[in-house]
This record gives sequence, C-alpha cells and structure tokens, in this order.
Amino acid sequence: MADYVISYPHYLVLENGHIKDACFNELISYKDQTLTIKHQEPVQLHVVILVDDAEFSLNYNIEALAQVDVIETRILGGKAILKRHMTIGDGAIVNIFHENLSVSKETLVFDDQGTIARDAQVQFGYAELSDHSEEANFHYDLIGENADVRLRMAALAKESEKKNYTIEIKHLAPNTTGIMDNYGVVKNRGSMTIDGIGTITKGQHGSASHQTNKIIIFDPECYASANPYLFIDDFDVKASHAAGVGKMDEEHLYYLESRGLSKTQSMQLITYGYLKPVVEVVENKMLRERFETILAKVGGTNV
Amino acid sequence: MSVLKVENLHVAVGGEEILKGVDLTLSTQETHALMGPNGNGKSTLLAAIMGHPRYEVTEGSITLDGEDVLAMSVDERSRKGLFLGMQNPQEIPGVTNSDFLRAAMNARREQPLNLFRFIKALEGAIDDLGMDENLAHRYLNEGFSGGEKKRNEILQMKLLQPKFALLDEIDSGLDVDALGVVSNVINDMRQGDMGLLLVSHYERLYKLVPPTHVHVLVDGRIVAEGGMELINKINAEGYEWVKELGVDIREKEEKQGIMLGVCGNKVTQ
Repeated sequence: MADYVISYPHYLVLENGHIKDACFNELISYKDQTLTIKHQEPVQLHVVILVDDAEFSLNYNIEALAQVDVIETRILGGKAILKRHMTIGDGAIVNIFHENLSVSKETLVFDDQGTIARDAQVQFGYAELSDHSEEANFHYDLIGENADVRLRMAALAKESEKKNYTIEIKHLAPNTTGIMDNYGVVKNRGSMTIDGIGTITKGQHGSASHQTNKIIIFDPECYASANPYLFIDDFDVKASHAAGVGKMDEEHLYYLESRGLSKTQSMQLITYGYLKPVVEVVENKMLRERFETILAKVGGTNV
Repeated sequence: MSVLKVENLHVAVGGEEILKGVDLTLSTQETHALMGPNGNGKSTLLAAIMGHPRYEVTEGSITLDGEDVLAMSVDERSRKGLFLGMQNPQEIPGVTNSDFLRAAMNARREQPLNLFRFIKALEGAIDDLGMDENLAHRYLNEGFSGGEKKRNEILQMKLLQPKFALLDEIDSGLDVDALGVVSNVINDMRQGDMGLLLVSHYERLYKLVPPTHVHVLVDGRIVAEGGMELINKINAEGYEWVKELGVDIREKEEKQGIMLGVCGNKVTQ
C-alpha cells in the first residue's frame, strides 16, 4: 500500500476500521466509526483511511459553528469499498481535501454522502490521480437555508483505468448555492465518465446551481464522456452548466511554444494549470508539494 | 548584427493563398513598419514567421542569419531569438504568469535562472510597465483587460530579450499613457541589438517609435516602401492611392450574421 505523510499536528489513522495511530485534542473525538468535531476554535485535521480488500464506513459529525480544515488521505487496495457520511451543522465552515492515493488492480468503490445545514460553507476538493479503476458517487444535500457548497475535482485516468464519477449536489432548502467544477485528463487507453447533477427541488427559491465538467483527452484510444444534468423544479433560481471533451487547445499550445517552451513542456503546464487549483481548498505546503509530485503522472505523452 | 530574411514568401490559410510573394529583410537595430488595409496579409506574415500551425508556407524561404527558419519548430524559433507580440494573446487558466515566464526564460538558458534573480527581473519589468504587482500570481492573461494583455506581451519581450520582435497591433487597447509607457520600454530595447517589425494602423505609435523603414502590404504583396513620409501619406489619404499602382485592395469578407431562433436553431432570413 502507498505511503502516507502526516501533514497536520492533529491526525487519525484508521486501518480497516481500527485506530492505527492518532493525535488529537478535546475538540475531536472518534467512537463507533464516527469522528466528531466540536465547535470552539478552528481546527486542522489529517485523516488517513487505509482499507485493504474490505468495506469500511466512516461518519463525520461536524457540529454547528465548527471551523475545520481536513485532509482526508484515502489509500485503498484490493477490492475495497469506502462509504463516508458527513453531517455538517449550522454555520460550520469546512474545507476538506480528499487525496486519493489508492493502488489496485480491482475496481474500487467510493460512496461519499453528506448533509449540509443552514448557513454552512463547505469546500470539497477531490484529487483523483490514483492508480486503479473506480466507481465513485459523491452526493451532498443542502438541507438548510443559505447552505453553500463548492466542489472541485481533478481526475486522471491512464493506461487501462476506468473511472466513473457521479457527482450530485441537491438543493433541499431555499437560497442555497451549489457549484461544482470537475476536470479530467484521460491518457493511453483510459476511460472516464463524469456525470454532474444539480437538483433544485420545488420551493427552493433563490438557489443557484452551477457546474463545469471538462475532460482533456491525450490519445486516440481514450474514452471520455462529460454529462451535465440540471433538474430544476422551481422558477426563481439560477442555474448553468458547461461541459466539454476534447483535445488540448491548439492556440494555447502555440502561445506557450512561441515563448520557447517545448510542446511537452507546454502540454504539461496547461494540464497542471487545469488540475492544480483543486489543491487550493486547504492551505498546506506538504500537501501541495505532494500533489505536484503526483501530477508528474500526467506528464509524458505521445501527442 | 543579425539578419532576418523573408524571400518570395507564399502563405496559404485553409487552402486560400494570402501572401503572394513577400520579400523583406530586417537587420537588428532597424525598425520596420508594416502597414496596409485590414485582411491583406500583415498578421499572416507575422504568424508565418513565428510558425503558427494553421499557416502553410507554399513557396519561398525565411532565414535567420542564414539558418532555415521554416525547418524549425515554433519553440526553436523563439529560442533562436524571434518573438511575436500577438494581437489577441491567449488566456490560459491555471497557469500563473510566474510559472510561465520562468519556464520561458529557462528554455533559452543552459543553467536555470535562480529564483531570486528571476523575481528581481520580473519585479523590475512589472514596475517599468506600470503593471499590477500581483501579476506574477495571476493566471496568464486570464481576466486581463485588452491593455493589460498588450502590456503583458511587452513584459514577455523585455524578459526574453529577442533578436527580432514582431509586434502585431501592440497599440490597440492601450490608452495614451499606457502607449507612452510601452513605447519607452520598446525604445529602451531598441538601444540594444534588437530588430523590430511593427504592425499598426496608427501614426501615434510610429511617432513614439519612429521606424527606419516602412512597407505597405496589399493583397499579399509589398507594393510600396519608404520612410516616415509614407506613413504621413497613408495617414492623410488612406490606401486609395495604391490602386494607381495597379494593385487591387483585398476587401475583408463581411461574414453573414447568423440569426438564432428558439433553442439555437439556425434561422434562414
């Protein structure tokens, strides 16, 4: 299994459901697969989840008005399934970065669910550059007025990996905001599907649902599909979507090459730029450096 | 001294011949102005020299100090000392100006520039051009105004120190003050060993950066050459007089507007 590096002073390492290592203060507790974060002062926490050929469920209970930055490192192997549920209380401010470092020859399953209460502001970052196929479902419900969620994903499917993502933000309260930006890169014989779903149910006036899904393909044998869905059942809302699958913009490449960068360098810079902003969800130097190292996987290309 | 030589250059775009035999010789320390009505080949010439993939050279040659430029890739041309300040610089999301500029500067050096020196050079250039001090951390041209993009082109020119700079309508989008600032930077660089090829419709640029040679490009050919007097003539009379030389002015095709109806269906008028 891949190595992990603890990146915050407070951390919890769970291996197949058991605590392998932990260090946290009285604001954080873990019991019966539930991690509770209390409101008092801002807290930063690194959670490492190791699951080998098993199924594991984890719950987060982030209490009202808590302010928390979380790095969640996911290292799954074999035929593993991770189910994660997050309850975010009123007015909480949460930034959570999911760093997937899994390696498997099997298809891994990720099922992230969550409810976000009134006035809570949540940013989700998903770095999906890991080495395996997967079926992933990220679903968040906005259940309280003024709940605000921003989700950004950077994903890479290479060699013969098949990665399928269904990402849904559901508005179940008025004046809620849900914005998602999903970016993918597909190389070799890789395959990627991104279904972005924004749902606003009846009565949720003043809500906004926006999404962008873009996939760059590098090689002729790639498969990619980016599908936006908006299900809107109220009149007084704002909604938009943009989706695209295509090769890298020739004009962008030409511009960088005209300043002396080689084609490979230009492609790398453009792809990094495409995927890199995901890491801005939390401020952590170690994470940033790790992510940049992992980005090198995107590098070499035959185009 | 370096020489950039264009001989009998024919260039086609999408199968249509735009340049029909252009000859032009530029030496460093010279400033050439390229004028002509819109759609007659000025930008095509500059793009062909830089190597834009959509512009196909069907005949003729371009050499830089005797070396075949047409055999070089775009990035090689840049590293050999050609620079094109573009009319519509691309916006590239996620790529910061500083990452890009550092990569571009290092592309032409054997030893990478140390960070301290890079920051010093960048800050100096930002200051000289009166640009936003957060520029380094902003994404390349993203959300820049027209004038900021043009200044960013000049900033790149300043940092990359080319032998030949081809500037395509660098004055468009700049107000009088900004044009003054940009002209000062260009004039500073002219003091060194740099050659310039300027494309502009406006006398105001040529007054600030006086050319040593003036060429008029009409319908894919250079039809007149001279000095400042040619600019004054065009400024006063336009291009009608070239018809007396037996040259047809290529009219820019007016594209028919498309009307969009319900659900984006095309409506025929």
